[in-house]
Amino acid sequence: MRLPPIPTTFRIAALTMLLVLCSNIALLGFIHASTYNDRLSPLRRQVIADASALSDIYASGGEPKLAGAIGDMLAADSSELTIGLYDRDGRQRAGNLLPPPKRQFDRSSGFQTASVSLRNGRRGEAGLMTIALKDGGWLMSGRLFGEPLALQRTIERALMISLCLSVLFGVVCAVILAHFVRRRVRAIGRAVDDFGHRDLALRAPTEGSGDVFDKLADHINAMLDRIATLMTELRVLTDSLAHDLRSPVGRLRVKVEQALALTDPDQRDAALAGVLVEADGLTHILTTVLEIGRYEALASRDQFVWLDPGELLDELADLYGPLVDEAGLVLEVARNGPVLPVFGHRQLLAQAISNLIENALKHAASGAVICLFAQSRGDSQCIGVADRGPGIAQDQVEHALSRFGRLDAARTRPGAGLGLSLVQAIAHLHDGKVDLEDNGPGLIAALRIPGAIGRRSSGAAAA
Amino acid sequence: MTWKILIVEDDADTAKYIAQGLVQEGHVVDLVDDGRDGLFQASSGLFDLIILDRMMPGMDGLSLLRALRASGVATPVLVLSALGTVDERICGLEAGADDYLVKPFSFAELIARAAALMRRQRNGAELTDTRIVVGDLEIDCLKRLVRRNSRTIELQPREYKLLEFLARNEGRVITRTMLIERVWHYHFDPGTNVVDVHISRLRRKLDAGFDRPLLHTIRGAGYRLSAEA
Repeated sequence: MRLPPIPTTFRIAALTMLLVLCSNIALLGFIHASTYNDRLSPLRRQVIADASALSDIYASGGEPKLAGAIGDMLAADSSELTIGLYDRDGRQRAGNLLPPPKRQFDRSSGFQTASVSLRNGRRGEAGLMTIALKDGGWLMSGRLFGEPLALQRTIERALMISLCLSVLFGVVCAVILAHFVRRRVRAIGRAVDDFGHRDLALRAPTEGSGDVFDKLADHINAMLDRIATLMTELRVLTDSLAHDLRSPVGRLRVKVEQALALTDPDQRDAALAGVLVEADGLTHILTTVLEIGRYEALASRDQFVWLDPGELLDELADLYGPLVDEAGLVLEVARNGPVLPVFGHRQLLAQAISNLIENALKHAASGAVICLFAQSRGDSQCIGVADRGPGIAQDQVEHALSRFGRLDAARTRPGAGLGLSLVQAIAHLHDGKVDLEDNGPGLIAALRIPGAIGRRSSGAAAA
Repeated sequence: MTWKILIVEDDADTAKYIAQGLVQEGHVVDLVDDGRDGLFQASSGLFDLIILDRMMPGMDGLSLLRALRASGVATPVLVLSALGTVDERICGLEAGADDYLVKPFSFAELIARAAALMRRQRNGAELTDTRIVVGDLEIDCLKRLVRRNSRTIELQPREYKLLEFLARNEGRVITRTMLIERVWHYHFDPGTNVVDVHISRLRRKLDAGFDRPLLHTIRGAGYRLSAEA
């Protein structure tokens, strides 16, 4: 069974607290250890000196002499000395130290600290040396901690208090940090919320410090920009779609009414054929709008391959050559210098160029040349069509690329104003754009596709 | 020739419209309005052609198609769909469809495509024929030579491909979109009469100076190469 996930802010807080605590424990531990040694070492030296003196006495005179020496020592200084002499069964022979539990003899050797009880009822901490005697008995000799220990205890208390304080500060610090993180995240979250519900102009706040939260906000804002653009476009599109479909539907209706009014079967058939043409035109408009929406919104690269732009143009020239010829124009394929392969959607690129050719056909004057070209410009590959028609004024370019954006000069000709918009959608699908330039006179319309598109998309996938 | 055709389509109006047309053409039609029933029927392998809607309740058309192909049924399948972008068409063909027709479509287009599929199925061997004869027209597919009544006709490479495709479908109506798809391999509708111009050039070379035209225009549908008028 999996535990429920721990909230990130809580984890940040806990980690901060833990780190503060660890560093403080290390510091306090060091202070404690060094002061403890300072206090204890004089006492330890004395205890060891006492013990070695007593064992010397035992070595020279055996137990009776040792017992006498102990009695003398205790009589001379009874304040701190704690001495006990015991036989092998743990019974006391001399000294003021009550016998400790039997097992303590076995475990003890060298210097140690232990709590002891004296015959006169005193209790306390003492430093002790335990010496095993030759006859199987034990000698314990030591000194009670007096002043040094009290000082040490004071220091320890102070250290404990500071440790508690550090835990407290750690918690406060962690809570503040978590609050700060939560505040920034919440601000971004609120902006996104309000964006969805109230105002497309709202963006996540940034502090200008360039920290991770600013970067996150920047990313989110870029996304919100794109969403806002799409939503605005969608709104405009829905409006203009509804508006621009009225005229073809209107024409369709008129033709049906005319057909209904006809009595001659041949005339009626001809009229109904006209109805079919109108219906097909309407279908074409709807398909194109769907395609534009699809390519602008969903960038699927399943069908992308490396392809040679020159080859693509040759194929299209093959398809359109006769048509251009019949229209009294000349179709040329020009290659200006070497052209690198393009990573793209063969069908859609062909469709885009064919739209540009159709545009050129509509607008070019008789006898003029329509030139299909592919060339490298900087990092990009440009594939496009140059004609000698009326061209598009620079201030009209944006309008020409918008959906249903028909320039006034074209209002009288058939078409829904979707061709360039579809070309642009296809360019966007390839991370590129549409260039509309003056051909002096005429129009150069080209898809500009970044050459590194393959590398970039695979790099993005790797990142 | 009578075909046995299965129509899997949930929209009753469309299904009725297609079925009526096919019955008038003299074919036998079974109608199913649900994907699962469709798969069950189609798996029988008793049909000459399956006309399959892409979006249906129970099981969508492409899943049905994949299941059908996975179980080894090779009956030609014509997919009908309102999803008409290039990627969606390619997706349909990759799922195992033999052809893909976008709604709304004309009945002539449907019949032309169905006929082409049936021909492929019945006379598959003909596709590899190296010599095709239509009336007094003779095509040598290896040398790419075209002769009519012993007179050699010079054709551009694309004109030759166009003629070969029409000749292999002798007597069948071929629509403009079919030509765009099969001869130029494009899956979009160029919108202008670009195919018509190619056809009229081919016709000029093919029929000029002969009494009986071979390349016929079928109004509202497409073209047909045939020795009969």
